[in-house]
Amino acid sequence: MSFREKRAWITFFTVLIFTVLWFTHVWRVQFLHARDENPMIWFFGTVAALIALEIALHIAVAVQSPREARTPKDERERLIDMKASRVAFYVLLVGTFAAIGTLHIPGANRLVMAQFLMGSILFALLSRFGTQIALHRRDA
Amino acid sequence: MAAKILQNQIRRLRFEHKEMTQQELAEKIGVTRQTVNAIELGKYSPSLEVAFQIADVFGVPLEEVFQYGNSTRRRS
Repeated sequence: MSFREKRAWITFFTVLIFTVLWFTHVWRVQFLHARDENPMIWFFGTVAALIALEIALHIAVAVQSPREARTPKDERERLIDMKASRVAFYVLLVGTFAAIGTLHIPGANRLVMAQFLMGSILFALLSRFGTQIALHRRDA
Repeated sequence: MAAKILQNQIRRLRFEHKEMTQQELAEKIGVTRQTVNAIELGKYSPSLEVAFQIADVFGVPLEEVFQYGNSTRRRS
């Protein structure tokens, strides 16, 4: 497995963990009426913890393969990045329109729209790194 | 009409040049070993610049490294 692919896996799983944590939290608050004290502290605390975890894992991978870590991205890797970003763009586009569509759902409010937008961003990120992994695997 | 694909002789040329490894070739042309492997297996078509660099490393004309033609081999 190449260095770039390992990095894509790390970011994919970090975003996936955050997505699961975030929507579990939203589910508990929205539908189970759990107490939601200091939601901003919860949000930024989780983000900070996951960023720290991601940095630590990236450093560990870079230490394992220092030569690859020093090598700049080549043309194939840049092409993979561009293709993955294109996929993510369409996911974000659909998600954003779906968020706008919540205006027509009876009983939906700004919070529901915000969750749709959050979901769009997270799924766009997951599709970006998922596509990167798939394209790296295909060429392997 | 039969599909035409880009074929290459990189593997043969590497072995004719003191069994050069993919990593050594990658370092000479400034790409990763995975990219050399993808080119060699026909899974990735390199840019003209990289194609000329590969030919330059082996000291042969471009058409000796890459050929565009019919093949029975399926491209993945």
